[in-house]
Amino acid sequence: MKLGPKAAAAALVLSASLALTGCGGAANSGSAAGAATSLSLGTVQDVRSWDPAQAHVGHVLQPYQAVYDTLILREPDGTLSPMLATAWKYNAGNTKLTLDLRTDVTFSDGAKFDAEAAKANMDHFKKANGPQMAQLASVRDVTVVDADTIDVNLTAPDPALEYFLSQAAGLMGSPKALGTEGIKTEPVGSGPYVMDKAASVKDSQTVFSARKDYWNKDLQKYQKLTFKVLTDLTARTNALVSGQVDATILDPKNGKQAEGAKMKLAANEVDWQGLLLLDREGAKNPALANVKVRQAINYAFDRKTILDQVMLGQGTPTSQPFGKASGAWTEELENYYTYDPAKARQLLKEAGFEKGVTLEIPSVPGFETQISVITQQLADVGITLKVGAALTNTYTADIAAQKFTTIFFSLFQGQPTVAIDQIVSTKALYNPFKNATPELEAKIAAVRNGGADAGKLAQEVNRYVVEQAWFAPLFRVNQMYYHNSKVNVTPQIQQAVPSIYNYSPAK
Amino acid sequence: MIRFIAKRLGSGLVVLFVVSALTFFLLYVSSGSIARNILGDQATAEQVALKEHELGLDQPLVVRYFSWVADALSGNLGASWFTSEPVANSLATRIPVTMTMVFAAMILIAVCAALIGVVAAVKRGWVDRVVQVGAIIGDSIPGFVIGVILVTLLAIQLGLFPATSTISPEAGPEAWVYSMSLPVIALLVNGVTGGAQQIRSAVIKQLERDYVRTLRSRGIGEREILFRHVLRSAAPAGLTVLSLQLIGMLGGVVIIEQIFALPGMGPLAVAATGQSDLPVVMGVVMYTVVVVIVVNLLVDIFNGWLNPKVRVS
Repeated sequence: MKLGPKAAAAALVLSASLALTGCGGAANSGSAAGAATSLSLGTVQDVRSWDPAQAHVGHVLQPYQAVYDTLILREPDGTLSPMLATAWKYNAGNTKLTLDLRTDVTFSDGAKFDAEAAKANMDHFKKANGPQMAQLASVRDVTVVDADTIDVNLTAPDPALEYFLSQAAGLMGSPKALGTEGIKTEPVGSGPYVMDKAASVKDSQTVFSARKDYWNKDLQKYQKLTFKVLTDLTARTNALVSGQVDATILDPKNGKQAEGAKMKLAANEVDWQGLLLLDREGAKNPALANVKVRQAINYAFDRKTILDQVMLGQGTPTSQPFGKASGAWTEELENYYTYDPAKARQLLKEAGFEKGVTLEIPSVPGFETQISVITQQLADVGITLKVGAALTNTYTADIAAQKFTTIFFSLFQGQPTVAIDQIVSTKALYNPFKNATPELEAKIAAVRNGGADAGKLAQEVNRYVVEQAWFAPLFRVNQMYYHNSKVNVTPQIQQAVPSIYNYSPAK
Repeated sequence: MIRFIAKRLGSGLVVLFVVSALTFFLLYVSSGSIARNILGDQATAEQVALKEHELGLDQPLVVRYFSWVADALSGNLGASWFTSEPVANSLATRIPVTMTMVFAAMILIAVCAALIGVVAAVKRGWVDRVVQVGAIIGDSIPGFVIGVILVTLLAIQLGLFPATSTISPEAGPEAWVYSMSLPVIALLVNGVTGGAQQIRSAVIKQLERDYVRTLRSRGIGEREILFRHVLRSAAPAGLTVLSLQLIGMLGGVVIIEQIFALPGMGPLAVAATGQSDLPVVMGVVMYTVVVVIVVNLLVDIFNGWLNPKVRVS
């Protein structure tokens, strides 16, 4: 064996050629450059499965919209418009929703959309045990009335159902493909685009091309649509600033860099951040059973300063957990708890906790700064925050198992019943101690049976949980969605990223 | 030699088995809440129970492990709990991305480190001092910091390279090379400086040995002494360093792939571990262990070939 000069020379040539080809040209091969009819979006994660029953909501809904139409279209401001369903109506008791369907729509595999197809999709969604299966939990069954009409029969009124039919539960896949292995990796829908499987790379990018003869040209604004998976925040910023993607979601700090590169902001409040005081009957921490203690916690926070320091002012201080677009939001609850440390101390004294209160909360990755600031502000009024081990991926199970009496978190602000079932009702994950009072139960029941008035009725639920200080909200957070000047973007209510229909080429 | 290889392969298989069992049982601790994580915040207890049954989580742990082993032995690594994508498919599309990057970096490290190390050892003086200082600086800057600097400078400021990967079948080989250049450079800086330092020491050690003096006294030229004798004797040390670097690189590559959004093993490992997606984590771990075993085996064989004494020991 001789490690002679030949071997070394070969290695050198190989490495040099690698280096040379790497430095040979100056062209930026970014796919977004050029044609105005292509759109490239940076997303935070790839689609888990293209089976529509495995679809998710919020920013994860976007890629499904490229290939699947929904029964109902949700406009940027939250109003519901016809899509595959042209009209819908409840019966008098709000227990049966009748939908009229389009008759001129086909799926990309040639199958026809009709009442049978809609029923097949909803039946599949109900039994596929996907992440949003709860959306059809109130649906007892779906019956075909005629070729273009279905009845959705409910076990109990569900004011969120129409909204759900504009989300995951409303996505319609080809009945021929539902339940097959193929649809998991290659979607088959009636949507404005079809997946270009050859150009797509799992966990890197998914490419779509416009579908010929799509029934609604108004919703199909691009010839080519690319979702580029960019998990890392810095990578998303770099891709946007260098022109590899036309739009993506950032955070306030990285947003500054994007603004420096002349990117435009389409901000939108979607989540709220703050404390969830879960143990309201004092099962594990007796202090939390006293409403004055919970109110004292609320008075301890200088919300505006925290927002300015931690989120660079990107958001709105608030005392209420329900979002502006939910209908449950009211102006009077917005500043219900002002910054008043003296009052906080007074309330603790009245509650018999003048010697102090100790709260234990888990550390939450990504929220370390917020937690350290509120630890300080609570300490100022005599409340000790003991920050424990970090939340892990078992946190939902741990919360359900009543492991935490208090948590700091960021939560989605959805439709009134969605929000109630997320944080207030006894079936809510974020009400693990199942706190309830007859008064609150009556208010929740009124919302469920309220039909079109559900949002307004939910204001009562909101007022109750604010007055009873079930939570200590700090602020609603701006979702920092940035885009370049080649594209117009309209923010979508209650979504961190817009629906795909909200993009259009800039003139 | 065959016995030697067989022995090494045998111990490799034992390692593979032990690591697989350890990983499987350690992940069990968090797998209790997997079903809820898959189904999300709104899932009911019945849904969670149904999902657990679907995934086989209601079976005893030992039964689950041995059924995994049985499947793995027949080449079936299962499917992701979250995406249903077969693990073998996930690995097949990601391993080439990672391995291309690692091997390109390794080749460049080997060549550059050898050149710099030998020059430093032979010339000594200021060249040597520069190399030594460079090694300290190079070692102290993590690869991902270099990556961030490279992106800011070469991709965003100068626009010479894409800021994140443009790897796709339609983009062609040129885009591939463009995409790989910055990550490879980010990966190799530590390796070159560290490797050069080790090779320098090994060459100096050989140059100070008696046989070199004997060769010199016989009037054999410096160049011949260096290339024919010294480098051959110093090679095992260099190879060992390279193999350690390659193994260490498997960790560094995870962060580099995140920064450059490369669809390699890194993001897969991070996502799967974060979600406790057991079948995928097992696949990633098996891949890593196999790479480590193969690299060590190759180095052992190579060293054994160069130096028969190793085979006996």
